[in-house]
Parts: sequence; C-alpha cells; structure tokens
Amino acid sequence: MDYTWDFEVVVRNFPVLLRGVVVTLELWAIAFPLGMVLGFVISLGRVSGKPWLNTPAIAYVEVFRNTPVLVQLIWFYYAFPIILGHQLGPFAAAILGLTLNTSAYCAEIFRGGIQSIATSQWEGARALGMTYSMAMRRVVLPQVGKRMLPAFTNRAIELAKVTSLASILTVHELMYQGRLLSSTYYRPLEILTVVALIYFILIYPGSYLSARLERKLALRD
Amino acid sequence: MSYQWDFSAVFKYGDMLLLGLAGTVKIALISIVLGVIVGFAVALMRMASNPWLRKPATAFVEFYRNTPPIVHFFWFFYALPIVIGVSLDPFVAAVLALSTQSGAFYAEVFRGGITSIERGQWEGAKALGMSYRMAMQRVIVPQALRRMVPPFVDRSFELTKTTALASTLAYAELLYQAMQVNSITFRPMEVYTAVALLYFIVLFTASSLMRVVEYRLARLG
Repeated sequence: MDYTWDFEVVVRNFPVLLRGVVVTLELWAIAFPLGMVLGFVISLGRVSGKPWLNTPAIAYVEVFRNTPVLVQLIWFYYAFPIILGHQLGPFAAAILGLTLNTSAYCAEIFRGGIQSIATSQWEGARALGMTYSMAMRRVVLPQVGKRMLPAFTNRAIELAKVTSLASILTVHELMYQGRLLSSTYYRPLEILTVVALIYFILIYPGSYLSARLERKLALRD
Repeated sequence: MSYQWDFSAVFKYGDMLLLGLAGTVKIALISIVLGVIVGFAVALMRMASNPWLRKPATAFVEFYRNTPPIVHFFWFFYALPIVIGVSLDPFVAAVLALSTQSGAFYAEVFRGGITSIERGQWEGAKALGMSYRMAMQRVIVPQALRRMVPPFVDRSFELTKTTALASTLAYAELLYQAMQVNSITFRPMEVYTAVALLYFIVLFTASSLMRVVEYRLARLG
C-alpha cells in the first residue's frame, strides 16, 4: 500500500463537517421527543380494548416496522407532498419520516411497559376511585418508567444513526457534508473515515452509558 | 384531495420492480450467510481469554454498533478501493458493508446466547471429564442455539431492511428499481407506495412465519 494519506483537506474543511454535526443534532433533538410523545399516544390506542382504536394502531406500528426507513423517508419527500398538495422541504420531510418511524418503535416500548403491570394494580386504582388517566399517571407510569429506560436509550441510539439517511433527501447533515467534501476534493478515504469517527464519537458515549445503566438496573431487580 | 391515482404505470413496469425484489432477496441472503460466518469468528474472538484476540474483536463490534450503516456503504464503495487498489462494483461493496455490519451484531447474538448458559452446566460437563471443546459442542451450544433464535431472526430482518441502502450505490435492488421506474413514469406517489407495500408484504409474511417457528421452538424447550 503506497497511498499517501493527506488529512490536511479534512482539517481545512472541518468547519463544514461541524455544520453538518449541528444539523444531525437538530434532527435527533427534534425527532426523538416528538416520536416519544406520539408513540405514547399510539400505545394508548394499542392497549385499548376498542377495536376501532386498536386496529389502526397495530397497522401503524406494523407498517413502520416492516418497511425500510429509507423507503419511508423517500416516500415522505417525493410522494406525500402530492396528497398534501404542498411541497415539503428536505428538512421537514426528514423530520416527519424520522418522527413517525421512531413513534412506531416507542409505541411498542410503552405498550410492553404498560402491559407488564398486573391487572390487579388497575383494579386497585379503580377501587380507590381513580379514573383511567389518573391510574395511568399515578400508578402505572411511575412503576414502568425505569423498566422502559434501556429500551428508550437504545431507540435514541438507533435514531442517531438513522439521521444519516436524511443525506439522501439532501439535508445538509454530517453524512451529506462528508459526501460533498469527498466528491469535491477526491479524498473519500480520509473524509469518509473521519465522518465515521465523528459519528462514533457522537454515539459511543450514549451506548456506553446505556449499557452501564442496563447492568445497574439488572442488578437491582 | 383531488389527486387521480393511476397504478397502471406501476403495473406496466412491474417486471422491473420484480427484478429489484429478486436483487433485494439475493443480497439479503448472501449477506446473512457471510454475516453469520463473520459473527461466529468475532464471537469466538470476543470470548477468548487472550487479549490480543479479544480487544480487536470488541473494537470491531463497538465500531459497527456505533456508526450508521450508510457510512459503511460509502466507505466500502469509495474509500476501500483506494486502500486495496482495486475498484469494487456496487454489489460487492454492498455485500461487504452488510456482512461486516451484521457480523458485528450476530457476534453479540452468539456471545449473548453462550454466556446466558449457567456456570453449573460448564462445571457439570467438566465433572464428567469433558474438555472445553466437548463441553461447548455437546452441552453449551445445543442449549444456547435455541435462545439465539429470536435475536438472530430480529437481526436478519434488520439486515433485510438495510439492503435498501444499496440503492445509494446504484445496485439494482427494489428501491433503486423504483427510482428508475419513477424517473420514467413521473408517478412517485404510486411507485413509492407500491414499493413500500412490496417490502411490507415480504417482511410481514416472513416475520409472521418466523413467529410460528419461534412459538414451536419455545414449546419444544
């Protein structure tokens, strides 16, 4: 291998990559909380006994979990505006796709948590005169919050990786900036390697903490 | 909403989409097989007591778990050829990216299955005079295999969804073919909806079948 590495081009263009990091973080910081909130609402439909709430919630979750994320993003960018009758910008389409995708997975986490609580707890809350929403807030969620935490941190890590697909919709996040630089300077080896390292530095602390947290919670049980 | 749906374009180019579907199935199957081989080797290295084997394997797994797949695809297609001095076609680059990435995840599946077997089983095998190898073959692996099935199936579905990224390297799988059909017909709504449905039908049918298999296995155990 007689290739001479040249990281000078990466150093010189580092601000371009950093601008990409900011957009990556924006995508993540917007889509994750929105996905969680929407996921909670869908999980309520999912655990409901009423079929007109239950069936659409199941269909929603299954559609998002059984199709590739990239297809979803492309659909929201190129197809959805046709029904909507209004063009979506790449960033808005990416946020929409990422949020809905995350919400389907979060709905399953909430459902698992809610269903792990014994029915006697619901009955007890009922007997004390609590309404459904009171029982949910005061009895069920406080108990399952901790149990769901590892699953949510895993989702957050998955989403951080999936934001890179927004580059296909020309959102100027880290991967897009990396591809732009590598085709401008013909230095894909150095630039793509550095992009991979930046992602690793962004994501590894999260997965390290989540693994520690999981071990700690497992010990306590 | 006054949009006139017209699926005739999709049917007219249906054979192109089916060709893409065949490409998706082909790349998924090859990558699953290669990924299992990589994963098995990495799992053995990770469980070795020799740090020269263990540490590189851990680094390999952590790197792939904490970086987005699209970066691997681009790295193998644009950056690796510079290192090895041979250019790769999209299919080879995509298979390399998919099988090394899924190898890292399969390694964790294998390792998790083997470490989940209680110490008493090892001690019992040793008490019967079995060597490490014999204990592994006759006692540990047969029990661990059954526990590995559900996470193994999950990972294989993830891999199949990730094959959609090969479209970004212009490998003719389902999503890439859809993009081609779309550029001929200018019917993104119908084309991308049809493709999402195709993915859904394939993945949902496969996952329903696997659920039956898992149920049977669980009853056997």
